[in-house]
Amino acid sequence: MARWALLSGLRGDLDVYEAVLADLRRHRVETLFLLGDLIGLERDCRALLERLQHPRRGELRPHCIYGWWEEQVLAERGYRGERRAEALRRESGEDAVQALLRAVDPGFMDWLAALRFGFVELDCALLHGSSADVGDSLGSATDPLALLDRLTRMDVNRLFTARSGEQFSVALCGGGITARVRDLEGERQLRQSVPSRQVIGVGRGLHYTLYDPGTDHLVFRTAPGPARPHRRGFP
Amino acid sequence: MTHAVLSCLHANLAAVEAVLDDIDRLGIATITCLGDLVGYGPQPNEVVALVRSRGIPTCQGCWDEDIIEGLNACECSYPSQLAERRGQLAHHWTAAQLSPENRDFLASLPMSLRRDRLVFVHGSPNSQHEYLLPDMEAFAALERVVSAGADTLFCGHTHRPYVREFREGSIELRLRRPDGEPGPEAERRVDLPVRRIVNAGSVGEPRHGGTEATYVIHDEDRDTVEIRQVPYDVERTCRAILTVGLPPPFAWRLRHGFEFAERADDASHVCER
Repeated sequence: MARWALLSGLRGDLDVYEAVLADLRRHRVETLFLLGDLIGLERDCRALLERLQHPRRGELRPHCIYGWWEEQVLAERGYRGERRAEALRRESGEDAVQALLRAVDPGFMDWLAALRFGFVELDCALLHGSSADVGDSLGSATDPLALLDRLTRMDVNRLFTARSGEQFSVALCGGGITARVRDLEGERQLRQSVPSRQVIGVGRGLHYTLYDPGTDHLVFRTAPGPARPHRRGFP
Repeated sequence: MTHAVLSCLHANLAAVEAVLDDIDRLGIATITCLGDLVGYGPQPNEVVALVRSRGIPTCQGCWDEDIIEGLNACECSYPSQLAERRGQLAHHWTAAQLSPENRDFLASLPMSLRRDRLVFVHGSPNSQHEYLLPDMEAFAALERVVSAGADTLFCGHTHRPYVREFREGSIELRLRRPDGEPGPEAERRVDLPVRRIVNAGSVGEPRHGGTEATYVIHDEDRDTVEIRQVPYDVERTCRAILTVGLPPPFAWRLRHGFEFAERADDASHVCER
């Protein structure tokens, strides 16, 4: 079975992407998933986006979905109906919105708009946030009831998420609940067990996750930092 | 305090009058309405005017929202294309009938109401369009109550009244993080709170298998919930449906208490509208 690599939060940083790719060469990875936040406002994202669309010879072709930052730029550029980048505006102000627009060349918008919300592979959902929202931040301290809800909504056993930026795995492994229903037909009671399911935070940037769906083996990795021989920021 | 909760009035004046008479007869002064004042039925203006005149706190239902926002529900709202066509016809007829004042009233309704630890919504805290069916996955249903910050969540939308209590709940979990990173303890058990969902059924378009209007009475002191069934002049509403030119199946199912009419069955479906 093919081993997966799952990363997120590159935020337009090609150096980080290359550092992760270099680390991946040591791990026989066959499928590469990028769980959103390909872009950010800190730097010109052109070089990274071109590389994702046109990998070098012998390089893994990434399967990308959109994340919170893509959602912001898509909304602000009118790809989400009447919605605008209100979440970013609320969090960081108008300057941040303008910086994001400068960081992402309009020529990439159609490609970004074509990205999917997520993938369902085997019994795994691969999302940026959760089934509730692309901005839903799930972490190791999230209420397990919410984790179970997000898994149930997708009807999957594994939910890979990236929004929190945290590397973690929460396995729901026991427990149950009794629900008693009374209606016009009478009363009935049902005891339901917690299904064995798992939420995995894949990390962001240099912190990524390897997963083997055949063995359910999970490895949290941190790639060695990039040498940064040249800067790709704004002049 | 004892209070009454009603939902899904659906422009059925005879049913609304009968239920309000029943509430008055019981001497209950506090009433909360969970929306869907209009749609399907032949007296949208009359029902909205009655709710306004009684000053009943009301939250917005999916039909109320669609009348204001325009039809944009996803396919989860209807079990068949025929049902969807009939629903659209009723939508356009209702939109054409509503007075500007009544339309403004529907637009002003909040998505939820709260009274201490009681929360009132039409569908669920997530959406007016989400169904909390009585057999919905229990953890997901409990999550709706907890995320709303409620002890008891009152909802409607399904047109089937029920009381569902969650107790003796727990989740055991095992946490793993990268080596050496601090974080919460590796294994723990979380005890879930005791919570309740009360579905008020439907006054104007019941789908419980009978023809009676349904609503609920909650006695806060005793913490009991009574599901009330109220007979009303069904023929009066059926005649009005046919007179104004709404689809005859709307009258037929009211007359026969056809329980499966227009019911969406997928409890796990997340409306993507």
